[in-house]
Amino acid sequence: MSELSDKELIDELKKRFETNKSALAEVQKLNKELQKVNKKLEDSESLKSHFISNITNEIINPFASILALSKNILSVEKENWKKVFSMVSLIYSEAFNLDFQLRNIFVAAKLEAGEIFPEIVNVDIKHLIENVIESFKYETKKKKLNVKLKFDIKTEGNKPFFFKTDSEKFRLIISNLLSNAVKYSYEGNDVIITVNQENKDLTLSIKDFGTGISEENQKIIFDRFKRIDSGINSVHRGHGLGLSINKALLDLLSGSIKIESEVEKGACFTINLPENVSQASGFAFDGNDMFFDDDKFLNGEGESF
Amino acid sequence: MNSHFLYPSAIFASKEPYQINTILGSCVAVCFWDPTIRVGGMCHYMLPFWNGEGLASPKYGNIAIEKLLEKMYDMGAKKLNIVAKVFGGGDVLETKNPQFFIGQRNIKLANEMLEELKIKIVSSSVGGKLGRKIIFHTHTGEVKQRYVNRQGEK
Repeated sequence: MSELSDKELIDELKKRFETNKSALAEVQKLNKELQKVNKKLEDSESLKSHFISNITNEIINPFASILALSKNILSVEKENWKKVFSMVSLIYSEAFNLDFQLRNIFVAAKLEAGEIFPEIVNVDIKHLIENVIESFKYETKKKKLNVKLKFDIKTEGNKPFFFKTDSEKFRLIISNLLSNAVKYSYEGNDVIITVNQENKDLTLSIKDFGTGISEENQKIIFDRFKRIDSGINSVHRGHGLGLSINKALLDLLSGSIKIESEVEKGACFTINLPENVSQASGFAFDGNDMFFDDDKFLNGEGESF
Repeated sequence: MNSHFLYPSAIFASKEPYQINTILGSCVAVCFWDPTIRVGGMCHYMLPFWNGEGLASPKYGNIAIEKLLEKMYDMGAKKLNIVAKVFGGGDVLETKNPQFFIGQRNIKLANEMLEELKIKIVSSSVGGKLGRKIIFHTHTGEVKQRYVNRQGEK
């Protein structure tokens, strides 16, 4: 080995210091990221335990009102029967909310257990959306909201527009979006639902003119149990699962969701859904078919492990 | 025989003899089998770690493997007996950025996690550039595999 000149030696040392430094910086960066993720997981865990106490009220309060109201109805005198009507509509509203919340909770549980799969059928999209709007009629009436449906898909001879998707999951996605729009709208606002078709994909957007979501909050709204205004003073009910469920369901149906919003100007959620999504992540056939059309494979050809 | 198509982010396990089918690109499927009681299950995950975003679903390997193992215990399997088979993790999407070598990262997670759990991987077919179709027979523990030359899986 030839002797190194002093200068060469110093240069070499410098170089090594530099590499060490950058490696250290890299480690520090990774460390920071790790801390961030760790914090997030911790938050999620604490939100989860909070969730139990939160949800207790969400379930017990509607039940208490339903029980009290029905009891009152039982004691109404015959001549006052007109009172019954408003009581029954209150019962309906509470029961509707309860049903909606429970559905979400069960779907979330199934999603987290990995026990959910798409059940594809031909869905009359317009009918389904009108149905969802109808189911929120009481809530929208209470806030004097005007829900407009712009259905921009034309079919031959005005036949119903059919689209292959999972009707129950699609319904829950729409219900969650509409429920949010209703919840965060101001009294007398419009809510506009637009349905369109883009390269065979279904696009649906729900726009409200309510409180809106800040850019910072837009990043976290799809996380579970996150509610922008959680806390004792929250005027809004709910469990903070809706959007994370929507995200996971759309994943399952190979769809996507995006949000545009400005604080105090409202929010617009747009979902994009491809048709015939029963295939697993982009394979264009029904999962079962592909195995059954493949007799050789079934009868034992192919590698064994 | 009963058959079940396993979607991505899902888990399936059964005491009854089942044939579990799935298609893998960069996703990884882990099959657990207990030869003494002849029951098995499979998970199919898309990404290695849950980072706190969205639901804590078996879309993520660390959650999927843990949940599948719980299911095995529920069916009466003993950890000492359980063996694992690992498939998938192909680089079906051409990319140069190591951040996006999802297949590799998925495989790494399975290997590391199973080592930590002290569950033996008795056979595996991972990596490469192709997608895979696999069929897992839960009563014999046998897995049939065929390559598919198709892009599209994320």
